[in-house]
Amino acid sequence: MTDVVFPVISQSDPDAEGTLATWFAEDGAVVAEGDLLAEVAVDKVDMELVAPVAGTITLIEDEGAVLRAGALIATID
Amino acid sequence: MSIDTTQQPATQGDPAEQPAAAPATKRLNTAKAMVEAIAREMERDEDVFVLGEDVGAYGGIFSSTTGLLDRFGPERVMDTPISETGFIGAAIGAATEGMRPIVELMFVDFFGVCMDQIYNHMAKIHFESGGNVKVPMVLMTAVGGGYSDGAQHSQCLWGTFAHLPGMKVVVPSNPADAAGLMTAAIRDDNPVVFMFHKGIQGLPWMAKNKRSIGPVPTGDHVVEIGKAATARPGSDVTVVTLSLSVHHALDVAEELAADGTADVEVIDLRSIVPLDTEAIIESVTRTGHLVIVDEDYQSFGLSGEIAARIAEHDPTILKAPISRVAVPDVPIPYARPLEYTALPTPARIKEAIIGQVAPA
Amino acid sequence: MSSRIDAAVQRDLYDQMVLIRTYEEAILREYHADKKPAFDIGAGLIPGEMHLAAGQEPVAAGVCAHLSRGDAVTATHRPHHFAIAHGVDLNRMTAEIFGRVDGLGRGRGGHMHLFDPDAHFSCSGIIAEGYPPTAGQALAFKKRGTDRVAVAVTGEGAANQGAFHETLNLAALWKLPVIFVVEDNDWGISVPRSASTSVANNAERAAAYGIPGVRVEDNAVEAVHEAAGEAVERARNGGGPTLIEVHTLRLWGHFEGDAQGYRADLEGVPGKDPIPTYEAALRKAGILDDAAVAITRRAASDTVESAIAFAKASPEPDPSTVRDYVFA
Repeated sequence: MTDVVFPVISQSDPDAEGTLATWFAEDGAVVAEGDLLAEVAVDKVDMELVAPVAGTITLIEDEGAVLRAGALIATID
Repeated sequence: MSIDTTQQPATQGDPAEQPAAAPATKRLNTAKAMVEAIAREMERDEDVFVLGEDVGAYGGIFSSTTGLLDRFGPERVMDTPISETGFIGAAIGAATEGMRPIVELMFVDFFGVCMDQIYNHMAKIHFESGGNVKVPMVLMTAVGGGYSDGAQHSQCLWGTFAHLPGMKVVVPSNPADAAGLMTAAIRDDNPVVFMFHKGIQGLPWMAKNKRSIGPVPTGDHVVEIGKAATARPGSDVTVVTLSLSVHHALDVAEELAADGTADVEVIDLRSIVPLDTEAIIESVTRTGHLVIVDEDYQSFGLSGEIAARIAEHDPTILKAPISRVAVPDVPIPYARPLEYTALPTPARIKEAIIGQVAPA
Repeated sequence: MSSRIDAAVQRDLYDQMVLIRTYEEAILREYHADKKPAFDIGAGLIPGEMHLAAGQEPVAAGVCAHLSRGDAVTATHRPHHFAIAHGVDLNRMTAEIFGRVDGLGRGRGGHMHLFDPDAHFSCSGIIAEGYPPTAGQALAFKKRGTDRVAVAVTGEGAANQGAFHETLNLAALWKLPVIFVVEDNDWGISVPRSASTSVANNAERAAAYGIPGVRVEDNAVEAVHEAAGEAVERARNGGGPTLIEVHTLRLWGHFEGDAQGYRADLEGVPGKDPIPTYEAALRKAGILDDAAVAITRRAASDTVESAIAFAKASPEPDPSTVRDYVFA
């Protein structure tokens, strides 16, 4: 099982809070490595999250969740 | 879990004609769907290039060109000075020489500073030359309100562009159609005005409807310009609409189906020029009830045009007068309570539908 | 007169100007022939507005001598001299002016909207708005790695329109192969330059955009030829745009039907006609004599009358085709 975590977006403030803005992956979907999973935002900087591995994804956090870098947002089996 | 897994993809025409095996798709927001369509066409045809304000490193103010500069370089993704007449005119000239520019007018509201190039040149050169000169270009532009951007940054104005001969006008409501219509627009030898609502882009920094994320066919995907789609089949009331209002109409339709008030058919116009009159008439002939939802100004525009086409065809197909849910003839106000009174909200759409099916 | 120009080129410049003048005189004749006794702008075989370029021949002849058919020219509402000098199909151009199906635009455009894509020639009836698309043509030429150039023509009044300034900036910024030509014939319609323009002449404005600006003061075809030659070479070699302003002469009204009551200098105008002046200079230099002049005039007349006959023989468009050509 692979963890998908909220990324570091702001190098100057790695502890900054950001938003899980959009889930593109649906709960229980089969994803390929590199597939677009989500879009996250810290301040006005948006970032795409892609699947680190292939497998079935289980979503842990909801859209709109306010999170810090390292927070677990999904797992892929 | 709040994720909606009952996404309804927009159908292309009659639901009965859907292919048995759906093509492979991937879930994107409308902005990314547009960008991918542009990127595919830029790979396919080196005459396609993009220009506009902040389309390069910034990726477009509403994310219409994100990542294109990195992929294709500054010769093909060109940041321009604040000179709409200058750079839209330049796109026109390049198109007459056989290139296929995609030029962005950042907000449709800015058309005032460059409308001569658009309606007197881009739209008329083909006609004035007796068909001898083509202008194969896309003018893409962000439209729409609902996030308090005020009177000069919240308009839709598709009625204004549609009124003037010589340019096609397309208005997608969802990611798949945005990709398909962008591809069609780039390949079309005519000038096509591609109007995308900021509220359907699925941007992280603006409140979004769940349908701004949806499945987009991978591979070659074209939506024919001039064909509406049945976003939701129904039998009691026809709602003819476009752009963000399609999402609101679908939300209302689901609600009214759940409590048995009405079975609502939602027609997503997708194109205004050409307008799919046949699809509108076919639906209204079946239901006898028409609600037009149009985020443009009410008078002298799209909603009036649709009503006129019904009346010209056969007003007796109507069992009740037509309802129009549009922006009253006021500039879009800044204060949220006022803005949301002016916009064609789900509450106003619901009231209009209920008014159609209420006992006489 | 320049001694650096070949006699053959001088002869060509003269012939070109005579052809243009002969054409404009013929159109003048045809335009007014059936609008009598009282002038009715909508009547006759050539209805509508008519803007003739008599007096401005040196600009067209001097500039276009350096162009080939692959180069682009965008003219104004007063386009005939540039169209002729750039080699536009004269028969089809004339048929278009007469509104006939064999016209360049199949009768859809008329005299202010002449498009000949084979010669990359177009014109626009909106003041200054032909400048931006011309920069776009230059952009396409540059993107394709050619050495082709685009010539954008306006009047001096247009230099106060936004599109003029936006295009100069854009073309300078992107180093586009454009030659901006301003025909200063002293008059917008009825408003003189002194009452419309904040600077003494528009060549000065080129500095605002970091490009060379040249003022040709005396409507002399060879001076235009020399300035244009430098500008075209600069553009072809990747040196970017140049602005050339020629102080030229509007021999007749702004449009046909313009009584020119506002024009105080009207009596002195015919004396400034550039063609007799150039003819006299070439005669003095032994390049022209009576026989040569007669040949030139005869050839011009034959070409022009043949074009008019072609136009008159072409049918008018069928009303049932009114919706054609809106879309490709």
